[in-house]
Amino acid sequence: MIASLRRLSLLACALLATPLSFATDTPTPRDMWHGAVELQYAELSAASERLEASAARFCQSPDEALRQRLENDWLSAYQAWQAVRFIQFGPAEQNSRGWQLQFWPDRKNLVGSKVRGWLKAAEAPDAQDIASDSVAIQGFPALEYLLYDDAMDEQALSDPAACDLMQAITTHLADTTTALHRDWQAFGEHYLETADYTETTLASAIQTLELLEDKRLGEPMGLKGAPANGYLAEAWRSGQTVRLVESSLEGLRTGFLPGLTALLREADALPLAEAFRDQLDKTLVQASELPPGLVPSLEDEEAFRGLQSLYLDISQLRHLLGNEIAGELGLVRGFNSSDGD
Amino acid sequence: MHRRQVLKAGLGSVAMALTPLSWALPAREEAAWLFSAVDDPSGAHYIAGVALDGQTRFMIEVPERCHGGCLRPDSRQAVLFARRPGTRMYVIDGDSRQLAHTIAAGKGYHFYGHGVFDLSGRYLYVTANRLEDSAGLVRVYDAANAYAHVRDMPLDGIGPHELKLMPDGDTLVIGLGGIQTHPDYGRVKLNLDTMAPALMLLDRHSGEILARHEPSHHQLSCRHLDVAADGAVIAGYQFEGPEWEIHPLTCRLDSDGHFSELTLDDELTASLNHYTASVAFSRVSGNVLVTAPRGNRVLLLDAAQGTLVASLALPDAAGARCDGNGGFLVSSGQGGLYRVTPDLAMPELLASLELRWDNHLT
Repeated sequence: MIASLRRLSLLACALLATPLSFATDTPTPRDMWHGAVELQYAELSAASERLEASAARFCQSPDEALRQRLENDWLSAYQAWQAVRFIQFGPAEQNSRGWQLQFWPDRKNLVGSKVRGWLKAAEAPDAQDIASDSVAIQGFPALEYLLYDDAMDEQALSDPAACDLMQAITTHLADTTTALHRDWQAFGEHYLETADYTETTLASAIQTLELLEDKRLGEPMGLKGAPANGYLAEAWRSGQTVRLVESSLEGLRTGFLPGLTALLREADALPLAEAFRDQLDKTLVQASELPPGLVPSLEDEEAFRGLQSLYLDISQLRHLLGNEIAGELGLVRGFNSSDGD
Repeated sequence: MHRRQVLKAGLGSVAMALTPLSWALPAREEAAWLFSAVDDPSGAHYIAGVALDGQTRFMIEVPERCHGGCLRPDSRQAVLFARRPGTRMYVIDGDSRQLAHTIAAGKGYHFYGHGVFDLSGRYLYVTANRLEDSAGLVRVYDAANAYAHVRDMPLDGIGPHELKLMPDGDTLVIGLGGIQTHPDYGRVKLNLDTMAPALMLLDRHSGEILARHEPSHHQLSCRHLDVAADGAVIAGYQFEGPEWEIHPLTCRLDSDGHFSELTLDDELTASLNHYTASVAFSRVSGNVLVTAPRGNRVLLLDAAQGTLVASLALPDAAGARCDGNGGFLVSSGQGGLYRVTPDLAMPELLASLELRWDNHLT
């Protein structure tokens, strides 16, 4: 979390002095963030329900077309989560919901052992069993194991054990994202009334870019002091690592940028908002031109150069937000305040 | 004024201001060290011993971020503990300014970042997690025998955190956080819906649980605490539930065993963002200081009355301990070391170091 926002406090005083009619006519940055994020949570909830229905259809009459549809729906819902993953506070933090949707990184392959455990269970789980088990079985990575892991070559997804497990997970996932959307709406009044959330939202976006740079790309690519290791990448089983990164960037474009622009306009620093938008767009183009997976690119010199360009673009984006824009707004990162114990 | 000059001027006044402290700090008969876990700006982890002039210091690099610590009575040793889910504790010799021992929690266990000695300085009591069943334990170590592990005392609960010795010398008071974590899951909190935190009393000889007081909400994680000379305990909570709710963040256990929560006004409570870090009693007055890094604030409370004495802005307020003169030393995650006293309108900056102090001062 961030310790001080000196310029903004001054600005808040200045705003208080302006006529109310002016203030109410102009949506504040938090108004814009809350509205945009609500749409993102709505999409996540809808996509998760489509995934749940798709899993049920496939299990009823498994065929290749329905399986393809299922894989697409899994990816769409996972991407919808990536888009709004930059909100790391509020209802997403409740009951570790963010972790429920995506337990990662998973250095011990807990996802694999949890799924294998349930596949061998005497009785098939329902959504309640999934809810009371660990975060490793609750989210998109567990479904990814069922859809893509090599071990599933020996067991058809249409087997009752696998299908029951998949449906229990997708039902739980749909429940969780529906609750998330509903709770975000209810959270609105508190979010809009509490000035500190401007800082919180910015800090959360900065952390998202740091995570992208260091953990989601830097570590699996071997840029963080240890050799490259594709198993550290998200979605290595499905080979969609880069697509997920792209979705997170798109989510910042639609969910975060408008509020940021309004904030910087208030602070009379619109050029910084434009610089951030331009860099974000450039990064998005770079991401969209890369193959979807990260692991194959570790062995391919040219593809790896493409990944490096993406990494550098994200690094610049992180610098713009975490240093230049944060500096302009007078933000100071906390140590214990962001990660105490 | 040039920034460097400001710093120098600040440090000059420190040395003068701190002279009386060096003899007045309890358990510090001679000028000695304040110990704290710190990170440097690059993110490397250290245990720092900082002299009371704020300038002289030594740093011991350690492989993991550390958290709290305790002094060994009648010795020049201090022990600092790896932060959850760390697995080591470090015995520092204040004379040689070196690491004297590194003790591992052992396979299947990790520490929570706090420990305390008995009055003789022989037995060390450390909060720990037994991973196979997530059992919260107090592990006992024998400092006279190279810190050999002696026995475990189960707490019938999850996530013990800070513990202190009561004035009777026989009873431990323990903040049971209630949060289940596992190293395989990193810092993911695994049981937020079923937490059962408590403020507990434990007989350190028999291991018998003497009292278990539950906070008013099951997601109020009881974490850090201090004990007054008369046996009154103040403990600080961290609320793990919905951030739009308001709950009390401190509780009190009177010397007669009566448990209650301190209710401050809602606006102040909300400004702490559900989080307290260190709790430190004054040894001179009935005041207790609580740091709230997420509120960038320290609270000074009248412990007996349960009322607010002062609420002072202090960025990323972290570690705290009494200064022996009725005031407190407070560290900041941003590098500052401050003095807070009831009669100062704002914290007095004693020194500013290029360090990130972790949540506790020893």
